[in-house]
Amino acid sequence: MRQVAIVGVGYSGFRSISPDLSYKELMYEAAAKAYDDAGVDPRRDVESFVSVAEDFNEGTSIFDEYVPDQIGGVLKPVHTIPGDGIHGLIAAYMQVLTGAMDIVMVEAHSKASNVLTLSDVVAYAMDPIYNRPLRANPLFIAGMEMNRYLYKTGTTEEQCAQVVVKNRANGFLNPSAAYGARLSLDAVLSSEPLSYPLKRLEVSSHADGAIVMVLASGDVAQELSALPIWITGVGWCNETPSLETRDWESATYARNSAEMAYRVAGIRNPRLEIDFAEVDDTFAYKELQHMEALGLCREGEAGLLLEEGDTELDGELPLNPSGGNLGVGHLLDASGLARVLEVVLQLRGIAGQRQLEDVETGLAFGWRSIPTTSGAAVVLSN
Amino acid sequence: MSLVERITSFADAKVWYGNLPIESLYTVGIAGEKFFRAIKDRGVIMGSVCPSCNLTYLPPMMYCERCFAELEEWVEVGTKGTVYTYTVVGVSLGGAPLEQPEILALIKIEGAHGGLVHRLGEVKPEETEIGMPVEAVLKPKKDREGSILDIKHFKPA
Repeated sequence: MRQVAIVGVGYSGFRSISPDLSYKELMYEAAAKAYDDAGVDPRRDVESFVSVAEDFNEGTSIFDEYVPDQIGGVLKPVHTIPGDGIHGLIAAYMQVLTGAMDIVMVEAHSKASNVLTLSDVVAYAMDPIYNRPLRANPLFIAGMEMNRYLYKTGTTEEQCAQVVVKNRANGFLNPSAAYGARLSLDAVLSSEPLSYPLKRLEVSSHADGAIVMVLASGDVAQELSALPIWITGVGWCNETPSLETRDWESATYARNSAEMAYRVAGIRNPRLEIDFAEVDDTFAYKELQHMEALGLCREGEAGLLLEEGDTELDGELPLNPSGGNLGVGHLLDASGLARVLEVVLQLRGIAGQRQLEDVETGLAFGWRSIPTTSGAAVVLSN
Repeated sequence: MSLVERITSFADAKVWYGNLPIESLYTVGIAGEKFFRAIKDRGVIMGSVCPSCNLTYLPPMMYCERCFAELEEWVEVGTKGTVYTYTVVGVSLGGAPLEQPEILALIKIEGAHGGLVHRLGEVKPEETEIGMPVEAVLKPKKDREGSILDIKHFKPA
C-alpha cells in the first residue's frame, strides 16, 4: 500500500469571534499558510481539494459551490463532505492511496460566531417525529449520557470537572487556544447545571477558525518535507441515529473507529504503542468515556488515571495537550482536524511550551457532537 | 502569501444579516402510522419485532438495523418501564434559564429494544433515580392527535 504523509499544516484562529475576517478569508489564510509550510503552489501542485462543511452551520445552501476559490481549487477536482474534519482527512488520504493523486489538501473551518441560532440548528438535527416535539435544549442528550456513564462506571462528577481544569490549563500554554485558563475544581463544580449532571464549564465554547493540511504520497512527501508526519491508520464508524436504541454507556462509535485505525496501523496494544492522544472533549465526561472506548485504558479507569496525573502533559499518556475543545474552543466540524493539528505539531516537535518529550506515535479522535454517534480516528507517526 | 492588509477598526468590521424560514413536512411512514394510531385510538404502545435477532424495536421500525430484514410482526409492549437514564434540563432551547427545570429521561420498556425519550412528571428532580419504575400518562382520548405528545409524560409507577 502507498504511504501517505501530512507535509504541511496551516491554521487561522482560534478566537471566540472573528469580526474582521469572512469565512472565505479565514480559509484563505489557513490555506496560504499550509501551502507555504508544505512548499507547494496550489495552482500548480495540488491535484485535489477536500473541504468539510455543513450547510446549516454555513448559513448557505449547497455550500460546496462556495469553497474552491479561497483554497486555490478553481477548475480542479474539489468536493465537500459533511462530517467531522477527520472524515475529510480520511477522504483526502484515500484519494492519495488510489495512486491517481500525489498531493491533496483538506480543509475544515468554523465561523460559529456568525450562527445566531446554533442550538436551533442542533435541535433540528434530532428526529423530527419522536424527539423534536419535546422542544428541549439538545444539551439534554449530553446530560442523559453523562448521567448513565457516571452510573455505569463509577466515574465521579469531580473527575469530569478535573478534565476541564486540565484541558483549559493546557490551553493556557497554547497561543492559538481561545479558552486557555487556570481554573479551580470548585469553579467548574459550582458553575450552573445546564442539564444535570452536566455543568456550564464542562461544555466547550465555540470558536472561529480554519485549518488546512496538505497530504502527499511517500516519495513526494520525502522530497517536500524534512519531517513528514505519516498517516499509519484510519478508522471511522457511525452507530445508530436512534436515541432510543443506541449505546448510552460506552461510545461504541469510538471503539469501532479506533479498532479499525489500530488494525490498519498494526497496533496491537494501544496503551503501550500510543504515546499521546488528542480526543474529543466537547463535554468534559466525553474525554474520559472516549479514552476508555479508544482502548487507552479499561472501562471505568479513565477518571482514576486522570486523578493520578497520567493524562497531564508530564504523565504517562498525555491527553489533549492542545487544550482540546474545552481549551482551544469547539470548532464545529473542524474540531477533529484541530485534534490532528496538535498531533502533527507535537510529532514535529514544534508545540512550544506544551511540547511533549520523545513522542513518536499519536492518536487523534473526533466526534460530531450531539445528537450524533459519528466518530473518526487517525494514527500518526513521525 | 497570506493576508497582508487587516481591518484595524471595529467600525469597518461589517456584517450582513440573512435568515431562512424553513418549513417541512415529515412523513411518519408505515411503522410510525401504526405506532401513533395505536396510542391515539387504543392508548397502547406497540413495537415491531425482528424474529431472527429476537429484538422488539421501540420506536418501531419497518426494518431491523442489525440484520436489515423487513419487519412485519407487531406486539404491544405495555405502558410501563424503567428510567434508564435521565437529566434535569435547566435551559430553554434558546439557552435562557428555565423557571421550572424539566426532567427528561430515556425510558426502557421491558422486552423492548430501545424505549422512549420523554418527560418525567409528578416527581421532583431530587427524587428521580436511574432504575426507577415509571408508567406513561396519556392525554384524554379526545385530545390525542397521533403525536409523541399524546403521552403527557411518564410518572413513577
